[in-house]
Amino acid sequence: MKIISSLVLVIGFSVCLKAQITLGSTVDTFGVLAGSTVTSSGPTLVLGNLGVSPGSAVTGFAAIPPGGPGLVSGAIHAADAFAGTAQTQLTTAYNAAAGAASTATVSGDLGGLTFFPGVYTSSTSLAITGTVTLNALGNPNAQFIFQMGSTLTTAVGSTVVLANGAQASNVFWQVGSSATLGTSSFFSGNILALASISLGTGASLQGRALARTGAVTLLSNTINTPAGLGGPPPPLVTPAPSSLILVTTALLGIVIYERKRIFKPFRS
Amino acid sequence: MVLTALALLACYAPALRGMFEQWRTDEDMSHGFLVPVVILWVIWRERERWRALPAQPTWLGWALLAFAASLHFAGALGVGLFAESLAFLISIAGAVLCLGGFSWLRALAFPLILALFMLPKLALVYNQATLPLQLLASRMAAGMLTVAGIGVIREGNILDVGGHKVAVVEACNGIRYLFSLGFMAAVFGYLFDSKSGMWPARLTLLAAAIPIAIVANAARVAAAGWIPAFDSGFPHELSGWVIFVLCLAMLLLTRQLFNKIYVLNRS
Repeated sequence: MKIISSLVLVIGFSVCLKAQITLGSTVDTFGVLAGSTVTSSGPTLVLGNLGVSPGSAVTGFAAIPPGGPGLVSGAIHAADAFAGTAQTQLTTAYNAAAGAASTATVSGDLGGLTFFPGVYTSSTSLAITGTVTLNALGNPNAQFIFQMGSTLTTAVGSTVVLANGAQASNVFWQVGSSATLGTSSFFSGNILALASISLGTGASLQGRALARTGAVTLLSNTINTPAGLGGPPPPLVTPAPSSLILVTTALLGIVIYERKRIFKPFRS
Repeated sequence: MVLTALALLACYAPALRGMFEQWRTDEDMSHGFLVPVVILWVIWRERERWRALPAQPTWLGWALLAFAASLHFAGALGVGLFAESLAFLISIAGAVLCLGGFSWLRALAFPLILALFMLPKLALVYNQATLPLQLLASRMAAGMLTVAGIGVIREGNILDVGGHKVAVVEACNGIRYLFSLGFMAAVFGYLFDSKSGMWPARLTLLAAAIPIAIVANAARVAAAGWIPAFDSGFPHELSGWVIFVLCLAMLLLTRQLFNKIYVLNRS
């Protein structure tokens, strides 16, 4: 089954995504954006802006009375014009992601699979158990779009791994209803949910939690907002010296150190 | 013997050309140029011992030659360069059996093992191992930096150290260290532990090369993440080279340690 799924994904990659989704310059600055409320419990850390619109309730953060252990590195926008603009841009991005031409159909649990850049569609819900790998094949601008008709659920300790230049800012999870990230899971990408988003205790999100109409619920989470599309690609680690240089070094060392034995015929 | 060697070289010329091309173009495999040199040195060094061996040809050599020929044929039909190159080594073993029998083959076992290091990469295995090795190097490097008290965020194969991002790309997966160190472990084993009964030391050296290479590669990546100057250019090359020299030292240290324990236990 996994082999067949992988083949489908490779075929999907061969008719790879052409369109590029962008979030918009305002919503791009948000790590968390909700339609109704943002609720946090425990020492949540949001690197980026936090906002809510058209709702206004934000609880569990130090900057908002009655206070709380949650921290936001950017600003909190509750029912202001900035959050309103962000919601408008979110709707545009959500519709663009939902309308992107599909390159492959997926279903059920994505755990254990590797995806290449493309648009993956599920008419119903999707789940992640274990590890999902997104392999950009060395292209930092490559995009991954996952469209699902209803929910996205990740299991406890599950991981979305970005490999070979894949950028969290270029991964979009267009969720038809609500997204739930499991306890201690590690998730990558922008969650664009029609309804609500809930993060389990200790879950980490390298990306954005953007809910159009519902709430975003946080429980001692870390949300690291990535740079927007078109940001500078990470520098590549140049490889180790060639094996010819390495082995030559070692052989020369032996020749110098053991010259008497080396040039002496072997005697058992 | 010379005629047999020439015949084998002629028959397997396309495979040898392919191997040569890979050594020339793939920096993971460029040590392949040195493997035949080391093999010739071993043969030269052991020439007196081998001359004394009696020739007891066996028909099994023909069976091995036939098997190698069919493998070569399969390789030529599209199975790939690895199969053709492996067929070349099997045909050498077959020819040795035809000419001198099992005593000759036993004597040539070590050069044949060394020759495995010049075989091209087996794409099926390499492609499966590359990404896990990249991720392993990333995880270990992030762990090393964290233990050292340096803040690091890991996104798959990308390390973000205080805004300085480094990517563990395919060529950084550690295969290069693994091949080079594995080959040197075999050479060390031959040179330092060549007495009969010392095969556990040789095996230990070979086995130790694997974790040493993996940890060393992660250390190289961690260094590139920690000190931005080490992520490219000459300093990066130099750090990679210095770490490899340290790997060799660790390999020799492992050998010393093993031999002390082994000799103590035997006595």
